Amino acid sequence: MRTPFLVVSVALLLASAGDARPTLGAPRPAAIEASTTGCGTGWTHPHAGGQVLTLRNDGATAAGVMLVDPSSGAVYAEVEGLGPGVTRRLHLSLGGGTYAFRCEDDRAGDPVTGPSVRIAGGRGSSVAVLPVTNNDLYAPARAYSKYVDAGLDRLIAATDRLRAAVDDGDLGAARTAWTPAHVSYERLGAAYGTFGDFDGAINGGPAGLPKGVHDPDFTGFHRLEYGLWHGESAASLRKVADRLAHDTRALKSDFPHQRMDPADLPLRAHEILENTLQFQLTGTADQGSGTTLRTAAANVEGTREVLGVLRPVLRDRYPALSQVDTWLDRLDAQLKGRSSVDGLSTAERERLNGTAGRLLELLAPIATLAEPRRVS
Amino acid sequence: MSARGPRDDGAGGDRRSFLRGALAAGVAGSLAGASASAAAAPADRATTPPARPFHGVHQAGVLDRSRPRTIVVSLDVIASGRGELTEFFRTLTDRARTLTAGGAPDDSGISGPPPDSGVLGPDVPAGGLTVTVGVGASLFDDRYGLASRKPAGLKPMRMFPNDDLDPDWCHGDVSLQLSAEDDDTVVHALRDIARHTRGAAQIRWRMSGFTSPPRPSGTPRNLMGFKDGISNPDATSAAEMDRLVWADRSREPAWTAGGSYVVIRLIRMLVEFWDRVGITEQEQMFGRDRATGAPLDGTREADEPRFAEDPIGKVIPLTSHIRMANPRTPQTADSRILRRSYNYDRGVDSVGDLDMGLVFTCYQQNPERQFEAVQERLIDEPLVDYITPFGGGYFFALPGARDSKDFLGRTLLA
Repeated sequence: MRTPFLVVSVALLLASAGDARPTLGAPRPAAIEASTTGCGTGWTHPHAGGQVLTLRNDGATAAGVMLVDPSSGAVYAEVEGLGPGVTRRLHLSLGGGTYAFRCEDDRAGDPVTGPSVRIAGGRGSSVAVLPVTNNDLYAPARAYSKYVDAGLDRLIAATDRLRAAVDDGDLGAARTAWTPAHVSYERLGAAYGTFGDFDGAINGGPAGLPKGVHDPDFTGFHRLEYGLWHGESAASLRKVADRLAHDTRALKSDFPHQRMDPADLPLRAHEILENTLQFQLTGTADQGSGTTLRTAAANVEGTREVLGVLRPVLRDRYPALSQVDTWLDRLDAQLKGRSSVDGLSTAERERLNGTAGRLLELLAPIATLAEPRRVS
Repeated sequence: MSARGPRDDGAGGDRRSFLRGALAAGVAGSLAGASASAAAAPADRATTPPARPFHGVHQAGVLDRSRPRTIVVSLDVIASGRGELTEFFRTLTDRARTLTAGGAPDDSGISGPPPDSGVLGPDVPAGGLTVTVGVGASLFDDRYGLASRKPAGLKPMRMFPNDDLDPDWCHGDVSLQLSAEDDDTVVHALRDIARHTRGAAQIRWRMSGFTSPPRPSGTPRNLMGFKDGISNPDATSAAEMDRLVWADRSREPAWTAGGSYVVIRLIRMLVEFWDRVGITEQEQMFGRDRATGAPLDGTREADEPRFAEDPIGKVIPLTSHIRMANPRTPQTADSRILRRSYNYDRGVDSVGDLDMGLVFTCYQQNPERQFEAVQERLIDEPLVDYITPFGGGYFFALPGARDSKDFLGRTLLA
């Protein structure tokens, strides 16, 4: 679900599932046609108000179907990957206006728009949103890649300082250098595979490793953090620091080839802070430095960057965008001057957690409404 | 005391007769002054519990008999200022109104993730849900300018000598109790309400509870094996509820009219220890026969104990729970409480014993005159060796929302 290609593969699976088709001759309930041939036919009694519309794909391949305002192209409802012979129900509350179904199949052909249907009177609560296209997301994705690229240079420089301190055997200096290096990585907004295997090597935790913190595959910032705050010797940490410095350089040289998928960007709007709530505000990411709230602040910066590049796309589509800004500011204010959740009172933690939670609720719709869609 | 709450007898163990009890309690609430509520109109009574009317002078869930499932939640309000606090109560009321009525939510299209968790399927049945909201003493501190409006008897829960209170499981700005026929109904409601109020309130503690079916009849049993809540004031008597449950107009701020104090106590039962106690000792601690629920001087659970005829406690010991809690004297009649308890069951403790007990909940007009008076009489009762109160709080259950434009807490915040 997190990546668009999964949706496509589900569609293909459905397309090949022949037993999903009803037996020929069996009575079929009335439904609106969702295939490219006959798209939107069968909408018998269009009316305003709350209703259930039943869609059925009578075509031979999987279909994607949207209910749109044909004049603007704004989308009221969407079903992706509707398999042949499959029926799906939409719960809608339609107001007066003009509606049409737009159908596409998983072949190369252009989407087909069905007949326009006028509905008189009434107010509905179903919301129409102008779909975002891949084209709309290219410029934001380019801008975000530039941000990451510049951030990687700062990461390398800060990590080199950390390695130098470890190499010098000055563990006090290493502890001081650890946090700026780590937050320079956390600012990049790596969540759910942005940096592939590099993320695990550079910033992974001990979870899932059989020997935990002593597992040879536990590497990167948190492995170093564990050693620096658990009395390990400089000699034993040199390899860890060297490997980390090496991995940050490898990430930098690899990053242009990774070419960020524009479709990932809207997902990042809430995913970065989902991780923050799960690992930083709980304190579970801490391996001794007591800096999970500084990590959280860096994650907020990364989220702000995502929102910044998406803003042109969101401005006219997302009415709650100003609330997002308000709650981002609140979260920043909660994090300011704080480093660890230890020592915070119950009330302080509740305020922090609740602020992050509300912000996440407000960020989540961005993933859905800015997901790239085909419009022509 | 002579009056008792509605009770199932042998024939009353099925789900629908339980609902009749719940609805009867609801009607009693209306008789006490509620505007007439829309009658429940379930599509299929045999399989779908009817929606419990939401609007009224009193909240649903106060007089209603304990339901099969409940979740008790304590929330701390984190809203910034009075405006956001008001918004919180409006949102909470809107969600309660929607959830208790049931109905399919509209698809969100491409504007966001689905508005509903889907836990109850696409049509979201009401499931007999009740939502009952209270406010704790801490809401009346300096944050929202409510200090002058605090109900006369509202204060933080007292620590009694036999308590072992854990601060993480005590108190809270707001209490929220969700009760229904099924677990999924209350879990769905909690997720919905938490989602819609995020940023305004955080859950401080919560406990799930259940009411056992009658075994084999009558009042349900607690996890010590005894029928619990046999002797309750008569929730169908408006006069009795006015004396014992609803806020006292002569002593309370006007905004509280229609509300009631709720005391919640989370009480661990040391069931392994208890199971190692002989039956005679168990029964003498309660003062009742374990099998029938009858007082030790009677034969049926409905029988009134005759303490006066047993002044030295030869049959029902003077230290028994029922005798200490409710001596049935004219002087103690106004300390009676309306008990609405649930069992809880949540895993094991550090020595491998089962962590289970009672979500004791009671409604009353005046916590000092009632709950605390009862609790003081119970100090050092023999039963204390087998139970450990560890959490809970005192709250004031708000007046009901009168109609579709009203909201819980309106009179408090006006």
